[in-house]
Amino acid sequence: MSALDGRPSLAPGVRLQRDAISGEPVLLYPEGIMALNSTAHDIVARCDGATTVGAIASALAAEYEIAREELDADILECLEVLRQRRLILFAA
Amino acid sequence: MNHRPYALLAELTYRCPLHCPYCSNPTRLPAGGELATEDWRRAIREAAEIGVLQAGFSGGEPLLRTDLADLVAEARGCGMYTNLITSAVGLDESRAAELRDAGLDSAQISFQADEAALADGIAGARTHRRKLEAARIVRERGIALSVNVVLHRANLSRLREIIAFAASLGTTHLELANTQYYGWGFLNRAHLTPTRAQVDEARRIAAEEKQRHAGRMDIFYVLPDYYEQRPKPCMQGWGRRYLTVNPVGEVLPCPTASSIPGMRFESVREHSVAWIWNESESFNRFRGTAWMPEPCQSCPQREIDFGGCRCQAALLTGNAAATDPVCSLSPDRKAVDEFLAGIASDDRKLPPWRLRTLSA
Repeated sequence: MSALDGRPSLAPGVRLQRDAISGEPVLLYPEGIMALNSTAHDIVARCDGATTVGAIASALAAEYEIAREELDADILECLEVLRQRRLILFAA
Repeated sequence: MNHRPYALLAELTYRCPLHCPYCSNPTRLPAGGELATEDWRRAIREAAEIGVLQAGFSGGEPLLRTDLADLVAEARGCGMYTNLITSAVGLDESRAAELRDAGLDSAQISFQADEAALADGIAGARTHRRKLEAARIVRERGIALSVNVVLHRANLSRLREIIAFAASLGTTHLELANTQYYGWGFLNRAHLTPTRAQVDEARRIAAEEKQRHAGRMDIFYVLPDYYEQRPKPCMQGWGRRYLTVNPVGEVLPCPTASSIPGMRFESVREHSVAWIWNESESFNRFRGTAWMPEPCQSCPQREIDFGGCRCQAALLTGNAAATDPVCSLSPDRKAVDEFLAGIASDDRKLPPWRLRTLSA
């Protein structure tokens, strides 16, 4: 299975929220807060446990009007950082 | 320009069914009754207005407040992440369902040890088995579960067993906190403090186990700061990230700040949280770096450790504005070293500890 076939979702106890003060997206989790840039937000907002990484990349490529190949590596890297911090999970 | 706060610790009550000798609650309780539900609701809304994104409900035992779910719902309604910090005594099926429905995101359950006899001896109450049940209920209700174990001389030798026990509870987050000496913990520190050999061994085990559980359970190991050379960055700086509201409504830069002699902390009964955070004398007293004495003032670490802990400075030197005596550069480091030199190496020579009670 390719890494692009994985279906990421937010880990239990993790919430995506907009910070009322800065207007920026943040991930909230037990005793922690992570500010997201707009690309990271666009990725995380699509982590619903059903959509594959590949489908997320296609959707964002269409939205940003760039070639998908330019996005795959960045998306995988972003998701890997979040996975290591246990903020997202991959369904088998 | 002031920083905004990110997290509110709501200490709902000092009442607690446990009597842990390491408790950091004050040994002398402040005057005044517990805040009413409406005062708490207002304080939570006011905290959200100035940027707070996280609410921790603690105590004492927050489950003893029958309005806990209302307060969780209020915080959740303000967009906050909600975390219950609890002994779990009283967390049965119906209470867990009520809290889940109110929007509780996560629960941190404290355990005293890995097995009932030792754990109940430390807590001064037969609670270990009920906590096991509560941990299962929390997991089944889909509330994120984390586990906290305070470490000290009476349980440090079981560190490996404690970690295996936490893993068996199905938690993904384990906090192992060496006792910090405030409140009852300070009173009992001669009994609670491990020897240097015990501390070194525990540190080695924690590092090993952290590796072994990587990917399944995150282990956070809070160092025993008396044995460190540099102070902890207490609260990430005074009045910089965190605020605490205690059971009588005083707003504090850290949960133990009310132990500092001569300081007055303003109450949510009389002032808005925004005013207290921005304008009050107490929140500005140790904010930034201007208040710092030498060696902090010219130290390259001053915006890394913020001079350490004000409460610890007050407890060990009588002066809350002193450099934290844990720092090896502090002129008062001998207060820590002399205490450590006096630690009994033989368990049989330890003084008895005083179990925490509400009437000191």
